[in-house]
Amino acid sequence: MEDQTEYKDTKDNIKNDITIPAAIIIAGLLISGAVIYTNVNTQTTTTNTTQQGVVQKTGSTDDVRPVDSNDHILGNPDAPVVIVEYSDFECPFCKRFQGTMNQIMKEYGESGKVAWVYRQFPLDQLHPKNGRKVAATSECVSELAGNKVFWQFANRFFELTPSNDNTDLTTVLPKIYKDIGIDQKKVEKCVSSGKYDVHIQDDIDNAIKTGGRGTPWSIVISKSGKTFPLSGSQPYTTVKQLIEIALKEK
Amino acid sequence: MFTTLIQIFSQVRYTVIAVITSAVVFTFAVWLPNFRLIIEILFNSSASSVEKTNIILSLFKSIQTNFSVVSASYTIAIAVLFGINTALIIYYIRSRQNSKLGSGTTLSAGGLVSGIFGIGCASCGTFVIGSLLSIFGASVLLTYLPFGGEEFGFLGVALLIYSSYLILKKINEPLVCNE
Repeated sequence: MEDQTEYKDTKDNIKNDITIPAAIIIAGLLISGAVIYTNVNTQTTTTNTTQQGVVQKTGSTDDVRPVDSNDHILGNPDAPVVIVEYSDFECPFCKRFQGTMNQIMKEYGESGKVAWVYRQFPLDQLHPKNGRKVAATSECVSELAGNKVFWQFANRFFELTPSNDNTDLTTVLPKIYKDIGIDQKKVEKCVSSGKYDVHIQDDIDNAIKTGGRGTPWSIVISKSGKTFPLSGSQPYTTVKQLIEIALKEK
Repeated sequence: MFTTLIQIFSQVRYTVIAVITSAVVFTFAVWLPNFRLIIEILFNSSASSVEKTNIILSLFKSIQTNFSVVSASYTIAIAVLFGINTALIIYYIRSRQNSKLGSGTTLSAGGLVSGIFGIGCASCGTFVIGSLLSIFGASVLLTYLPFGGEEFGFLGVALLIYSSYLILKKINEPLVCNE
């Protein structure tokens, strides 16, 4: 009986010996995760076809690249509030946020209070098949048919596709080209030339530099230049309230 | 075991502990992507107190817009289970001083950590897991996860359920020595 008790005690001790270090490791992970997250200087890794594991430090939203004529802008370029959105055509939350932003532009765009800027942030880790390809396609559409048609393309693409790299581009894209009246061969030639690869990478780098860790990643810029970060597909009320706050920052 | 659970939560204090803990975890999960915005609004903006309150509360609605049905479900499940776990651990410690829970607490912590990783992956992003994996140079791992990291959410739920089971088992063990 005594032997049995001793054996049980030893077994329990071994169990505790294992669980205590495991608890320490997990607690360490939790603490380090929290520290990493709360410190804005989080490290984020980008992976793409040319670079693998390039570690870049995230900075502040003040590092957002100034909006210029090369950007895709909807609304008044001199609006007191500019929303710069870094988006991924294959992200389901970007698809949802596209609807929210269209609703926002209906309310604030026509009066010239808000401008919406679309920048590319395809997530290679999640959408390696289509992400960059669609981003390049949209840039080529913009080059060939202009800013207005770019927005038509973006809306139509989000409307027709299932996201998460499940889009069959061979059937969807020709349909969109037809809908928006653009020459498919010209777009395909432009995409295969790779002329927008650097531009897309620049957008991605800027998204990461400003603290973007997922999509949609938006930066709301007020007239005074004050910036507000907005991560994810936030509801219409949040975006509207943020715009109202930004409009007051003069 | 289910009777024990009912018995514990029929005491108001443990229900309150569970509800408060669940609310804290849920709030953390929903606000996680926008901590920087919250800080900016609270401390660096000219917004009124009402505007500050409204925008921060409006972020709760992102459970509908910034989460898929699956990720919203496991986020809520993790919050509720973590609340239950915490209440059970406190009950056990209070009723049996000098006792060690060991694997129960470990799994509980593991469940929460795993859940947080999953939450990060909910909004097409790699908030926490991406940052952590990048430190180990393993962010490419996300490409190979069929659910893009949501696996951690499922794992979190499983660990927390198992943890609750272990703690309840401990609670049901007799107070006297087995010798």
